[in-house]
Order: sequence, then C-alpha cells, then structure tokens
Amino acid sequence: MGFARQSVHYRTRLGDIFRRSKVRSVLTVLFGALVWVDGPAHGGAACADTVAVEASAAQIGSVETSAVELEIVAPGNYVHYGVHDERSRENLGDQANIGFIVGERCVLVFDGGGSFSVGRALLNAIREVTDKPICYVVISHVHPDHIFGVAALIADDPAIIGHENLPRQLAARGKFYRESLERDLGELAAGSDIVMPTKTVATGETMTVDLGDRKVDIRAWPPAHTDHDVSIFDRSTSTLWLADLLFVEHTPVLDSNITGFLAVMQTLRGAEARHYVPGHGRSNAAWPAVMDAQQRYFEVILKETRRAIRDNVRLMDAVNQVGLSEAEQWINFETYHRRNVTTAYTELEWE
Amino acid sequence: MQLRCLLLAALLVSAPFAASGNPNPEPDHTKIPEWQVIRKLMFGDREINPDDRDVVRLYLNTRADDAATVPIMINGQIDQTVNDYIKTLYVIVDGNPTPTAGVFHFTPDSGRVKMETRLRFEKYSFVRAVAELNDGQLYMSQRWVKAAGGCSAPMGKNVSAASVGKMRFRLDDAVEYDQPQLVQVQVRHPNESALASDLEPGHVPKFIRSVEVNYNDQPVMSGEVNFSLSDNPVFRFYFVPRAEGELSVRVEDTHDSVFSQSMRVSEGESTQTH
Repeated sequence: MGFARQSVHYRTRLGDIFRRSKVRSVLTVLFGALVWVDGPAHGGAACADTVAVEASAAQIGSVETSAVELEIVAPGNYVHYGVHDERSRENLGDQANIGFIVGERCVLVFDGGGSFSVGRALLNAIREVTDKPICYVVISHVHPDHIFGVAALIADDPAIIGHENLPRQLAARGKFYRESLERDLGELAAGSDIVMPTKTVATGETMTVDLGDRKVDIRAWPPAHTDHDVSIFDRSTSTLWLADLLFVEHTPVLDSNITGFLAVMQTLRGAEARHYVPGHGRSNAAWPAVMDAQQRYFEVILKETRRAIRDNVRLMDAVNQVGLSEAEQWINFETYHRRNVTTAYTELEWE
Repeated sequence: MQLRCLLLAALLVSAPFAASGNPNPEPDHTKIPEWQVIRKLMFGDREINPDDRDVVRLYLNTRADDAATVPIMINGQIDQTVNDYIKTLYVIVDGNPTPTAGVFHFTPDSGRVKMETRLRFEKYSFVRAVAELNDGQLYMSQRWVKAAGGCSAPMGKNVSAASVGKMRFRLDDAVEYDQPQLVQVQVRHPNESALASDLEPGHVPKFIRSVEVNYNDQPVMSGEVNFSLSDNPVFRFYFVPRAEGELSVRVEDTHDSVFSQSMRVSEGESTQTH
C-alpha cells in the first residue's frame, strides 16, 4: 500500500498549503483516494518519491496559483482524476482522467483535459512537481474532455503526438466541439483551442519516446472507442494509461466499433501492467480483471443488438430494449447508453 | 476539509440555477421563422390542415441519442385507395441546412403509406410530416426534437469506396399477394453532409439525391432526398405484390453515380439479402 499512503500524504500536504496560503482553487475534485497497487515491490522507490513530493509541495506554498489534485499511481506517474458530472461552469470540463510522467530529462503529458483552465491547472501542478520541460504531449483521442486543455501545455514546444487518424478527426469535429464548449462554459472557455499533432502513429504501430532514463510506448489502436485511440505504457513502472479504452464506473462510450472495441480489449488483457489508469473512473480492481465489467457491458450490447436486428426490432425501439440489465451498473447510463446502442446497431445491421 | 465543504456547498447552491430555467422549451410550431420561409417556398398560399383527420402520424424518440442518426417513422393512417390516397409525403426538419429531408411519392399500389428512415438534426427543431392527398389537401403532424450537431458531425463510419452503393433487402414476413408487405432497404453510402468540415475544399458533397422503387416495373415509391438523411440510409415502406416478381431499387447520388439492386419476391417467402 506504499503508493496509497504516499498519495494521501501528498494531498494532505496540498490541503495544508491551501489553508495556510488561502490559495484559490480553480479546480478541486471532491473524491476520496483509492489507488490499486498489486504488490509492495516498489516500496523503496515510493519512499524516495515521497521525499521529492514533500520537497516540491513545500515549494508551492509560495506560488499563488491554482492546482489540481494528483495521485501518484507509480513512481513518476501522476494522475488527475476527472469528475463524472456533465460539463458545467463549475467543473470546467474536468471530466477525463489526465496526467503526466516525469523522466530524468523531461515530462510527457497524457491529455490536456476539457478546457484551457483544466490544462493550465495541470500545468501548474506539473510545475509544482518538477521544473523539467514538457517534451511530449500525447492526445489519446478527439473527445472534448481530453483535448481542450492541450493549448495550455505547449509553451515548452513539445512534440504533440496522436493517432494517424487524429488530425482528420480534429479538423472535422473541432469547430463543433469548440462551439459546444463555448455554449456550456461561456467566457470560461477562453483559450481552449484545437492543437494539431506534430507527429502521428500509424494504426497498429507503437512509437517509443525517451523522457531520460524512462521509455514510454505510445500505441495506436485499430477502431475501438474511436477510430484513433492511443494508449501509453511507462516501461520502467509498467504503468498502462488507457484513456477511454477503459471506463470504470462511468458508462463506457462507443464512438466507433463494438466488435473492434472487444477485440482491442482482448489484446489489452495481454498487457503486463502493474498499474493502470482508466480514462474515466478510478482503479478498483487488479489488472486485467478491472476490464471485466466493461467487457460484460459490450458483450451484452453486442448479443442483444444482434438479436434485435435478427428479430427485426427497429433501431428506434432497440435503444429502449437492449442492455437494460446494465442500467444499475454504471454512472451516466441515461446519457450514453442509448447512443452506444445506436452505434452498435448501425454497425451490426451490416454484418 | 474546510475548503472542500465550501466547494461542495457552492456546487449545491449553484445546481438549482443550472436546472431551473429550461433553455430550450418547445416553441410554437407555427411561429418558426425557418418554417415560414419553407412553407411559402414549398406550398405557397395553400392551406395546411392541422391533422385532425388523423391522416399522418409521426413517431420518434424526441430526445435523440445521436443527432446524426435519429430514427423516424411516418405512418399514413388512411387506406391507399384509387379515390383517396396519400400522393406525397414531405419530411421537413426546420433547422437543417436542407430542411426538406425527403419528398416521397406513393401510389395506391403502395398499399399503405409508411416511411421509416433516419435523419440528421443540426439543431433543436421541429420535424414535420406533411401528407398531400390526391385531391391536393395537405395535412401536417410535427414533433419537437432535441438533437443538435448531426449535420456538422463528421461521418462516423468509414464507408469504403468499394462498398458504396451496396444494398440489402429485408422482407421479414412471408409474402401474401395483394397484401401490403413491409420491406426494408439499406444502402451503403456516406451520404456526406455539406456542413461536415472534414470535406476537402472544393469537394462537392456526395449524397443520395433520389431513390426509386419499382415492383415489376410499376412505381411503388420514389423520393428526392439529401444529406438530412443519415449515412448508410435505411428506408422501410410498404408495397403490394400482385404476383411473383422483382422489387428493384435505384439510387442516384450527387456525383451522378447510379446504383441498382433488386430482390425476387414470391408468395410464402421471406427474404434477406446480404
């Protein structure tokens, strides 16, 4: 439980600092801490990191900035957990789990969050942890809760990396997403811009980057959650960041291909991850058992949608019939489930 | 802890404000500016009757799940007889860049008028079904639909060039001659929206502009359509087979590509093509 204690300790320190210096918090997540650690193997490293964190925590007391809560899921892997609520002026689109990995030389950021403000808060948190430059920003996929903070994270001129299909999707959806953001956040959306990748990874390929004594694999997947998902894997701690290839608690979202998503999950199960970070929700089981719930959800949809199509149940009715046994299992089911069924149905009716 | 409690309180206090005003109440359907224009252009000064005769009904989930794929079912409520039948069905989405999503023509041989398809909605708006009878009378039903962005959204599915125009037929019930038979036709086609920003500059959006269905060379249903229909369009409608024969479907898109496919129909059989 080394990391869990360390994490709590870190938050407590931040809390102390908030109270002492009356720092105004732009973003605070109202969740407790829970970190899954499947073994005490990294105890030594964790202790070393705790020292570093305490040192940096001590520094931020003098910096009058906003901050986000972070959890260290593995040495050098810092996660900020988003909320499950709908986007609002209160949460500023802070819905996705985002974070960063610190190497000897520089920092890799995985997703920027749902608005410039979220990205800037993450940047401030990074600056409280390390003064190493940001050399990579990896964008997991096009969805607005993952992309709009990127604009706040590029001052160090990092390479911006995404799937080969990401530029097309950003070009296609960017304008519409930006307008929706403005509608929801008003002037609080300021600065939230689309940032195009400077490097892309071809479907099925893995790009490896070195943060200085720390190699990170960036893998581009075939169509699953979207047609341009990437995950990252920190080799030195075996930490797998899945973004929206994994939902925990929050209804999984299907924006591309249900059979593809299930196939990708099958491949992911083979990943030898000691730690993992879902795109939404918190770690609540060991890897890869944590994927069981999402897999069950998609298998239920697959089976029942196929049956609905076979029985000539029209789409209009299928969305109100398929997968209802899952309703109590997930947060935000009402918002996302029927859309998932629509996506599955329009794919499977061509089988 | 103190800070958290304060924030929590702030959230609780602010929540009712977010929920109190309904920002998109259903407006008066007769007073929609777009509709005034569409109405004038399409129907001139002709009277459009509110549908108290129950000529046409419109079914859909009015809180749409996917604005680019909103299933809709329009049912003619009167028997198609030689003397009294629905000649044309206008499907109109007030808020779309091409508001007239479809103009479908039927004959007494359609048996019963039904059109099930899927629509894109660019913004919250009314969808209207205007039925024109053979005597020229117009009847309208409408529903307020909460869905937005369906025309701006990029094409979700990648339709490979090779598969464009491929069709599937589905006739689930065993065929009975002289009775209306429900048939479904699916067409593989991106049905590109002119608003989708992933189109290359200068590219003329490729969407289906007409669909024509014949049974043994006699017209069953035909329609002028556009990108207000979803990608991979689906049509469900009735036809009346009088004898064994062939149901043929022809679609034409804005790049002048023509796709035709047909299905054999004979008594007692149901059919699904792949």
